[in-house]
Amino acid sequence: MSLDDAPDDFESGLKPLWARAQAGDETAYAQALQRIAVRLRGYLRRRMQSLPDDVEDLVQETLLALHLQRGTHDVDLPVSRWVLAIARHKLVDLWRRRGRQDVLHDPWDELDDRDMPLAADAGTARRDLFKLLESLPEAQRTAIVLTKIDGLSVAEASARTGASVSAIKVQVHRGLKRLAKMARSET
Amino acid sequence: MSTDELIRMLARRAGPAPRALAARRLAAAVCGGGLLALAASLGLVGPVNGALFVEPAMAFKLAYGLALAAAAAVWVARLGRPGAPARAPQRASAAVALAVLASGALSLLAVPSGERLEALFGHSWLQCPLLVLTLALPTLAGGLWALRGLAPTQPRRAGFAAGVLAGAVGAFAYGFACDELAPSFVAAWYTAGIALTAALGAWLGPRCLRW
Repeated sequence: MSLDDAPDDFESGLKPLWARAQAGDETAYAQALQRIAVRLRGYLRRRMQSLPDDVEDLVQETLLALHLQRGTHDVDLPVSRWVLAIARHKLVDLWRRRGRQDVLHDPWDELDDRDMPLAADAGTARRDLFKLLESLPEAQRTAIVLTKIDGLSVAEASARTGASVSAIKVQVHRGLKRLAKMARSET
Repeated sequence: MSTDELIRMLARRAGPAPRALAARRLAAAVCGGGLLALAASLGLVGPVNGALFVEPAMAFKLAYGLALAAAAAVWVARLGRPGAPARAPQRASAAVALAVLASGALSLLAVPSGERLEALFGHSWLQCPLLVLTLALPTLAGGLWALRGLAPTQPRRAGFAAGVLAGAVGAFAYGFACDELAPSFVAAWYTAGIALTAALGAWLGPRCLRW
């Protein structure tokens, strides 16, 4: 399977958004993730013909992994290549957990993604990350809810909870990491 | 949670991405592990007589460790970053090891046949690989810790590369405490110690680098 089979317009549309996102622009980050989600849906859908109901779960799991690992992307690497390497890792991991080894010989790999119907419509995820969020340890859940759902700044969240600014950041990161781990063990 | 909601959540207050993550984590691992290995090598095994440092064999040992550590560090960093090209540093690491093995073999040919066993086995061939492995352990732990904070998509290979890096650091540290002077000894037994560490890393990789 080639990692370079991403249509070039995906890379060229994503690259400037991604650069701004990595520098801290939230709007650009959300837009970049939207584009990536569409691409992931197509990529995973055509490789998961036998598990169509799991596609959206894996899209979400991959987005979570991309977010947690975004420090491993450097400007010298095409974003699409990095994204698809992570998606492929998540896919192989899913097959491995399901006990299937033949994913690497998937005949669909020989088709170009552009030959497939566009997969912009979001399917529904079966696993609800909100529910998993509930089962996080108190401090991690509070930090995530305050900053990433209610949209408070880290300083505001720190004032609200009495935890230091760096503690809030750590709790958010650990919480999302744990969320990803729980999501992975649920599928 | 819908995917749109997830995206909104991930992006909100996300801040800038951490910079040079691989380099920072690996540098910490190599510095920490290297200092521990040096301290153990000098403190527990004891430094060689300073007069030995004029011998070319000493430079050969230390250069082997340094060159291999440099190549393997790049290799590990690339394997920790999904999609990053890892072939060039992999070849560079192999080239360093092969060059050392080849010069060891050539030096053995230059030795009179009656002294070859001595030039190959020295007086410490058994302890050398085991000490290199032992001295490599802190760096191996550090390297795996560094990789756990990155995103290795090939855990076995990443563990192997971390083992090569740690073995090279261990070999460098042991070089200060080892008084063997035959290049053939260094080529054989230092490499054996590095290979042991790499095998341990390859075994540990799939066990502790899943994500």
